Amino acid sequence: MKKQLRNTWMGYRRPDGQAGARNSLLLLSGTLYANSVIERLGHMIANTTVITHPLGRCQVMPDLRLTRKTLVGTALNPNCGGVIVIDHHRETGCTAEEMAHDIAKSGKPVEAINIRESGGAIEATARGLRIALDMLRKISTQNREEVPVSELIYGLNCGTSDTTSGISSNKAVGYCSDMIIDQGGRSILAETTEMLGGEQVLAARAATPQIADRIWEITKRMEQRALASGEDIRGSQPTGDNILGGLSSIEEKSLGAIQKSGTKPIVGVVDYAEPIGREPGLYIMDTPGHGGESITGIAAAGSQILTFSTGGGHTINHPLMVTIRLTGNKTSFEKMRDTVELDVSDIFQGMSIEEAGMRVYNEVIETASGKLTKCEILRENNAFAIHRIGISI
Amino acid sequence: MAIEAFVIDPNDNVATLFIHQGARGSSIKVQIDGKDAEIQLRDNVPFAHKFAIRPIRKGEQVIKYGYSIGTATEDIEPGQHVHIHNTESNRGRGDLAGSSPSSGAGK
Repeated sequence: MKKQLRNTWMGYRRPDGQAGARNSLLLLSGTLYANSVIERLGHMIANTTVITHPLGRCQVMPDLRLTRKTLVGTALNPNCGGVIVIDHHRETGCTAEEMAHDIAKSGKPVEAINIRESGGAIEATARGLRIALDMLRKISTQNREEVPVSELIYGLNCGTSDTTSGISSNKAVGYCSDMIIDQGGRSILAETTEMLGGEQVLAARAATPQIADRIWEITKRMEQRALASGEDIRGSQPTGDNILGGLSSIEEKSLGAIQKSGTKPIVGVVDYAEPIGREPGLYIMDTPGHGGESITGIAAAGSQILTFSTGGGHTINHPLMVTIRLTGNKTSFEKMRDTVELDVSDIFQGMSIEEAGMRVYNEVIETASGKLTKCEILRENNAFAIHRIGISI
Repeated sequence: MAIEAFVIDPNDNVATLFIHQGARGSSIKVQIDGKDAEIQLRDNVPFAHKFAIRPIRKGEQVIKYGYSIGTATEDIEPGQHVHIHNTESNRGRGDLAGSSPSSGAGK
C-alpha cells in the first residue's frame, strides 16, 4: 500500500513560490457596502470566487486591523491566481487600494475598484467586468505542475461533532496529517475552545517549553472569555447538536477534537490569520471554535486544503481553500451525502485507522490536484467569517 | 465484526455505544481491561451516547480518553446512561460565581 503512495500533487506555481490547488480569480469585498457589486460580478463572470462579509467599517482599530489582515491573507492564499478588490467610498486603514498594495507584493495580478470613484454601482460593475476579462485570459493560461507534498499546508477542522468524531473521522484526519508532515509538509490545528480539557495532551507534544506555555496561555485566555459571559459554556460549547450526538461537556468534545492533530510534535503557535513558520510540522492557530471563523483564519495563513470532520454532517465550505467533509457516522453520511465527500464509518465495522487515514490522504492529494468537491460543484459558500475581537463603534 | 461499544482508555469509567439504540435491559459487549465483558443497560441509551462501565459516585470524575470529562452529579451505576443529566462540566463555568479558569483540571 505504501508503495502506491503519491508523494506529489498537481498545483499552480505562484510568483512568490507558493503552490495553489485552484486557480481562482478572487472577487473580494473590502467592506459590506461593496458586497452587492461583488456578488453581481460573481454571477456574471465564469471561474470566479466571491468573498463578501459584513465588516470593514466602524470597527475598533485592533479589530479593523484583524479584518484587513484576514482579507489580505485570504487574497495571498496560493489557491487564488488574481484578485479584484472593491470598496465603496473611503475607509480608514482598510481601503481596496491599501489591500491591493499589500497583495501586489506577492506578484499576483490585483486591481482595486472604488465604487464612488467609478461613478456608482453600475459603472463599478462595468469596470470589474473589463478587468476580469483580461485577468482571466491571463491567469487561465497557467497549467498545473508537479508539486511535492512538502508544499502542502493542510488545514484541520471539525464541526457538528458527535462521539463518533473523536474515535473515527478525527483519528483518520490525524493519520493523514502525520503522513503529510512525514513528507515535510505542515498542518494547522485551530479551535482553541476545543482544547479546553485537552491542554495537557497537546502541551506534552510541544517541541519547546515556550510552545507548551503558549498552549496553556491561549486556552486560559479562551476559558476566561467563557467565564466573563457569566453563563455556563455548555449549550454554546458543546453546541446543541453536539449534545444530541452524545457529547456531554467541552472537555469530552475537546479530547475528541484534538485527535485530528495526529501524533507529531507541535512546532509553533500563531495568532488568528497569521502566517505559520517554514519548519515542517504541526502548528496551532489560536481561533474560536466557530467553524467559519476558524477555517477563515486557517485559509488566511495560506492553507490550500482542509479536511472538515463532522459527526452530524455539514455544509461548511470555504470559498477559496478547498474543503473536504468527512464523517464516521453512517446515518449522517446518508442524510448529508450531497455535501459530505467521505464516509469512514467502516471503522466501526473493523476498518483500521491506517486504512481510513490513507483514504483521507488519497482524497486530499486528488482534490488538491483538481478533483472537485461536492460543495464546489454546488457552489456552497458557507464559511467565510472573520473573527472579531471588538465591538462595532 | 461490528463494534457495539467502545472503551477508549483503560482508566475510562464510561463506554460509548455504537449500535443503533441500546434498549434498557439489553446486554452490550464491551472490552474492559482487554477482556470481553457484557454490561446490562439500565437505561435506554441512544446511538453514540455513553453508559457507565463501573460505579461512579456523586462528585467523582467521569473519565473518557483517560481524562476527566466532568463530575458526576449523582451516583451512577454500571449500565446507566451518562450525559448532561448526571454529568457537569468542570470548565468554562461562567455560571458559577467567582470561578476562575481551572486549566489543568483532569491532569
